[in-house]
Amino acid sequence: MAYYPATQDPTTDVRERSYVPELLRGLAVTTRHFFKNLLFPRDANPDVLNRKGNSHITTVSYPEEKVTYPPGYRGLHRLVPREDGKPRCVACYMCATICPAQCIYIEAGEYVSEDPSPESRVIEKYPTRFVIDELRCIVCGLCVDACPKDAIRMDTGRHTPSEYSRSGFVWDIPRLLQGPAVSHPSDPWHKRSGSERPAHPHPERHARIGDGLVQLKLPHGHPHGVRTEVTAGPIPVTKFLRD
Amino acid sequence: MSRTIKVAVIAPGFVVLALLFLNWLNYRVAGLLSPHGLAWLSTLFFHLLLFVMLTATVLTVAERKWSAFTQDRIGPERARLPLLSNHSLGGLPHVAADALKMLTKEDTRPKAAERDRVLFMLGPILAFAPVYALAAVIPFGPAVRLASGYTVAPQVANPNFGILFVFAIASLAVYGTSLAGWASNSKFALLGGVRASSQMISYEVALGLSLVGLMIAFNTVQLPALIGAASASSGQAQYLWSTTLFGMDVGIPAWGIVLQPAGFLLFFAAAFAETKRAPFDLPEGESEIIGYFLEYSGMKFGTFMISEFVEVVVLSALITAIFLGGWHFGFIGDRAFAAGWGTSHPVLYGVVCATVFALKTIILCWLQLMIRWTFPRFRYDQIMTLGWKILLPLGLLNVFLSGALILLDPSLQWLGVVGLLEIAVLLGLTLTAGRKPARGPSASTTPDAHALSTAAAHH
Repeated sequence: MAYYPATQDPTTDVRERSYVPELLRGLAVTTRHFFKNLLFPRDANPDVLNRKGNSHITTVSYPEEKVTYPPGYRGLHRLVPREDGKPRCVACYMCATICPAQCIYIEAGEYVSEDPSPESRVIEKYPTRFVIDELRCIVCGLCVDACPKDAIRMDTGRHTPSEYSRSGFVWDIPRLLQGPAVSHPSDPWHKRSGSERPAHPHPERHARIGDGLVQLKLPHGHPHGVRTEVTAGPIPVTKFLRD
Repeated sequence: MSRTIKVAVIAPGFVVLALLFLNWLNYRVAGLLSPHGLAWLSTLFFHLLLFVMLTATVLTVAERKWSAFTQDRIGPERARLPLLSNHSLGGLPHVAADALKMLTKEDTRPKAAERDRVLFMLGPILAFAPVYALAAVIPFGPAVRLASGYTVAPQVANPNFGILFVFAIASLAVYGTSLAGWASNSKFALLGGVRASSQMISYEVALGLSLVGLMIAFNTVQLPALIGAASASSGQAQYLWSTTLFGMDVGIPAWGIVLQPAGFLLFFAAAFAETKRAPFDLPEGESEIIGYFLEYSGMKFGTFMISEFVEVVVLSALITAIFLGGWHFGFIGDRAFAAGWGTSHPVLYGVVCATVFALKTIILCWLQLMIRWTFPRFRYDQIMTLGWKILLPLGLLNVFLSGALILLDPSLQWLGVVGLLEIAVLLGLTLTAGRKPARGPSASTTPDAHALSTAAAHH
């Protein structure tokens, strides 16, 4: 109900001055709400704004009814699995490094080069321990942005569930590794075998700096050199001072 | 089964059946005890101990549930009974949960209050006892002449000084709160106690004055005589104007609220101040000082709490008896009912009438709770202004006006005309308030003249 004051000037209007009519109007408002909420059943739709019916009640009875989070909701982390169920994580420590709350702890394991498994050709490391302290996490999402392998996401649509002890909030790989597997065509483990050093007309494109295939263009290696002004001794400070 | 049927039919029906049964038991047991002169013992048990205390106890949960409904919430519903865990039963199991909690909580006592240990213990007792004692003079139903020849009235005591007893005992309640505030030896509790004493003493005056008009009109201070008897057409059972339609008597009764609407408002406001509940909850003031029961815990605090609710019930019963015609229906059929069942089935007549009284009381309890959850708290100077500068002069004016009208017309009809006029003015003012303002310069330049003419048009 729209509220219209009895007049613009409450000092002269007898209805405002005597206070009683306004009290009765207020009582009418609460009474109307009371009877509507008392008599009519509550729509339990968790989407509160779209509730139907005469009841005004906006309560969501939490554990039984849950408000669904919006699509872009940054919720509980998950470690994204590969098709074969192992984590996509390559233990690069980027997430642990960027995390402002320092809640991520990683211990890396190394693939042995003699290992016959196909990953060992293309991946050097994997996490033996990947632990997130959900009590310390500030849910900023920087780890998701930092991850080069799309291995950590916050797309579960849930928040951290409650626990009886603090240690229960420390999530490790078995609990973090969940949700649908993700696969990209560019994933290194999708490369065909024998494609580590592709036959290429320009092998230096795929070479690394230390390989010796590429001549680094360093200033002193330049035929003309870089003209550098060499001054002897410290720069005189008085140069910058006015007299 | 839809919620509407449950809430609007089954729950009230259950309450009515329970009240009918309780009143029937009371009349039967009182009839059995009458030969020994102990009929009051039956009322003491069935009305004071069962009706008043049970209603007050249920009100503790009703307050939370009903406040939830006014504020678009659900309210307490999580306490469940063992075999009915799928039903919240309207939150009623919370009564048991609260009582258990209060009784089993640690009863802490502030070290500083050790010196005044006796006073500290007396606080809750003195807050509860006077309020509960008020119920002794309330007539919960009509006096009925049984087949055995004894006349039974569901009233513990009917002294000659009926209403004066109410004033006297109600003013004793201030000792409980001020003692609690003092003996707690805490600044906040003391503040609450001082506030309570000054507020309650201020409103005693208006409380007394507001009833003088009715005392003059009915020439009595006894509550059963104020309510009157339909067969004798006395007290509030008489009609101001009446006619007969199809063998039923129809008319405007001489209820206190019709004769003395101003007195009713004054009494209601003053009684509200006496209960120390919002909007007069300065002594408690839970958002600033915790109030006079700050240092109390466990069931001692519970006693303060329950005495507040007992006061709500007792005041509702008093208002019912004084202003709302007691156990009479009012506008239709009182005489026909008294002449019919009143003579042929006196006990059933009494049971129905007593149930009407109890229902009116419960509705007034609801109204008090709604007011408590609608109005914001007054500032302290506003409380004193309202008590001394508004209610007191209005009460005096009401006394003189009523006295003059009764002197002019002992049949009370002029008093009724003025009373109805007062109601019409109030209704007119309320209905004209909050209208959408008419557009145009004429409405905006003279809003007051417009409003007053509209108000005048209503009567």
